[in-house]
Amino acid sequence: MTRAVYGIVVRECTRFLRQRGRIAASLGRPFVWLVFAGAGFAGVFAGRSAIDYRVYMVPGLLGMVVMFGALLAALSTVTDRDAGVLRMMLVAPIRRRTVALGKTLGATALGTLQALAVAAVLVPLVGLRPTLGGALLGLGGIVLSSLATGALGLLLAASMRSIENFAGVMNFVVFPMLFLSGALYPVRHFGPVLRALAYLNPLAYGVDILKHALLAGWAGSGYGGELPLGADVVALVLFAAGGLAAAAPLLARERGAARAAFQDRG
Amino acid sequence: MTAAAIDARGLGKDFGSVRALDHLDLEVREAEFFGFLGPNGAGKTTTVHLLATLLTPSRGTARVAGRDVVQDGLGVRRSIGLVFQETTLDRDLTVEENLRFAARLWDLPRRLAEPRIAALLAQFGLGERRHDVVRALSGGLRRAVDIARGILHEPRVLFLDEPTAGLDPRARRTLWELIRALRQASGLTVFLTTHYVEEAEPCDRVAVLDRGRLAALGSPAELKRQAGVGSLEAVFLARTGHPLAEPTAA
Repeated sequence: MTRAVYGIVVRECTRFLRQRGRIAASLGRPFVWLVFAGAGFAGVFAGRSAIDYRVYMVPGLLGMVVMFGALLAALSTVTDRDAGVLRMMLVAPIRRRTVALGKTLGATALGTLQALAVAAVLVPLVGLRPTLGGALLGLGGIVLSSLATGALGLLLAASMRSIENFAGVMNFVVFPMLFLSGALYPVRHFGPVLRALAYLNPLAYGVDILKHALLAGWAGSGYGGELPLGADVVALVLFAAGGLAAAAPLLARERGAARAAFQDRG
Repeated sequence: MTAAAIDARGLGKDFGSVRALDHLDLEVREAEFFGFLGPNGAGKTTTVHLLATLLTPSRGTARVAGRDVVQDGLGVRRSIGLVFQETTLDRDLTVEENLRFAARLWDLPRRLAEPRIAALLAQFGLGERRHDVVRALSGGLRRAVDIARGILHEPRVLFLDEPTAGLDPRARRTLWELIRALRQASGLTVFLTTHYVEEAEPCDRVAVLDRGRLAALGSPAELKRQAGVGSLEAVFLARTGHPLAEPTAA
């Protein structure tokens, strides 16, 4: 089982490294946000905040990289099904949950690698100097949120019939997740309903860990982490475990992915 | 006499109200080259997917390589190779990367997998193309890689589901040469589905499937003799009352 999981992760990484456009988009996107959204919001925030808005954005932008990286990697399960590769995995002598675990860990690896690559440039660029402890905590936050987003992405992919509703995913999953994550403004500014929604969003916990890690110096003025660190970790672990547990049987279900993958023709 | 490679009893599958496979009793012997002949929609692929544990039977039982398809799915999948109608290769990976990926899925340690991959690439004439992405290969070469992938873990039973569909005549001939050489070298049980009579001709025995039911079973020579006709095509017509070439209203 370990070897199969490793094989699936290696495949995900090999594919990713071969897709130049995907790499460029994923690494360039946060800088586009930093420049355009950063310039606009920094003006709104100017003079009112104890923190430069561009610095405040860093945890959120890293969270965004994680989300795009891990979610899109997990959603590739849908294209795997169309291309037939999912069949190769399902006919191998491994359990469905091994396939689910491999896909999720592949998404975790990709989300983590992309976020680290962006962090290596973005963090010094805005003048952040995290402590060693902060950097390690940040790494942990990136890995955990990649895992949780990957598991939920797999659940989404396992219940989707085709990638044609991809635009729908972007509009109804990716953007709400981003805007309800505290990536661009603190969650405490939301009213009770939106705040409740925000805490149903795994990205909110991931971004919160990154704020603990990178913005600890601004905790006093309310721009650091908003939840206890332990609560963030527990929430992400629960999202990851729940997503995996729910996705694995969907992969096996004849009406779900497997049925679509094995339906007899004409 | 060794145990049957495949033993199906009353096997059937419904998709909702559609009876894809009605009732199948079938025994395939060890090392046999077994043909499963029928038009599109006869239930051939459904049968293969049931035997490969990818679908759960609606009724009946089946054992493959001595293992029950419902009770021991992992055991069955460990003992079989399956080449699907459409390629299941990752088009963005190279030939070698695809085989390595499969080796890991089948839990082959590297020291076993690498020499086998090298040998298969040589045997299938793919040595020069090993670093090419699959997308760049012709349909015939892709099929060859699919088959190499199917036998990498040295299965006891190899299922070939319409392996030549969509190939040009030359690629087809090359593929048949490959399959013949493979059978001679390994004594592998091969279960072939096809809707081409000429592909069923060299089989040891042929099962004729029509509308989810077995219409005839025997060696090509027996079938022709029993039906008093000269070709498997005529056998199909004699047994089912309609020609093989025109797909039934399925």
